[in-house]
Amino acid sequence: MLEWSTAGPAVGAAFLASIVEVVEAFTIVLVVATLRGWKPAVLGTGAALFVLAAVVVILGPLLDQVPLHLLQLVIGVLLLLFGIGWLRKAALRAGGVIPLHDEDAIFAKESAGLSAEVERQKTSQDWIAGIAAFKAVLLEGLEVIFIVIAVGAGRGLLWQASLGALAACALVLVIGAIAHRPLARVPENTLKFGVGVMLSAFGVFWTGEGLGVDWPGHDLALFVFAVLFLVAGLMAARMVRQPLKEAMQ
Amino acid sequence: MNILKDVLSELFSMFIADARLTGAILATVVIAALLINLTRLPDLVGGAVLLVGCIAVLFLSVMREPARRASQRSEG
Repeated sequence: MLEWSTAGPAVGAAFLASIVEVVEAFTIVLVVATLRGWKPAVLGTGAALFVLAAVVVILGPLLDQVPLHLLQLVIGVLLLLFGIGWLRKAALRAGGVIPLHDEDAIFAKESAGLSAEVERQKTSQDWIAGIAAFKAVLLEGLEVIFIVIAVGAGRGLLWQASLGALAACALVLVIGAIAHRPLARVPENTLKFGVGVMLSAFGVFWTGEGLGVDWPGHDLALFVFAVLFLVAGLMAARMVRQPLKEAMQ
Repeated sequence: MNILKDVLSELFSMFIADARLTGAILATVVIAALLINLTRLPDLVGGAVLLVGCIAVLFLSVMREPARRASQRSEG
């Protein structure tokens, strides 16, 4: 039977990370739907989901061919690069060093950009709008696929992690359909901070296992790593905020 | 071709957004791997180096950024 300490972090990380990515893709799809109607938005999104499904179908069986330790090492290192990058950016945003991600501002910017592009190329306006939706869903979807593979593949939890990601998609789509506007109230930086912590913890765990380290407490070590990354991220955000305040005074 | 270029650039930026951060993380992994594979120390020592090294890289990278941005502004 699957233990919560094993599946919980993988499903949770896939769910939270997917919320961040799906919110970003949803903003662009909403821009397309608002400016050109739902037809190009739905067609572009559908085409991207088809390509993403093809990527999963091709990549899935290949993962089974890779030796487990090599898979853990490669995914662990990629998770470290990805997770610590996210955590660094979230800490800098929390510390006020870089501006927060603003979905309303992105909606306005993308609307202006798409309008200008459509104006410039008078022909096939729906085509241009559909391509914009396609690119947004494809690019954010590739990140979701990586995260699902990264947190799930090392322990045979691909299905559970996929369900976490699908639940995030469903949640964002339902809330988005009701709200019918960019989901600006999603505490995106807090989510990114949490996801960065979890991905970094998974990164250290898998990289260590890939190199042959037998972590004490096995999967429970993940929670300890997560707490350490969380404390380090919060401390760093707090410390970079201090000099900024002093400079303002 | 434009979409393919965007996809490749997105994949690249997913993992290598900051060259120094990437270099520091990879260096930490290499040091941990050397300790585990080439020394007689317990494997857990290499694991501890990996964990503490990654946390230190994160902390120092965040702490360094305001100064880096300030020097960029003064040069610009």
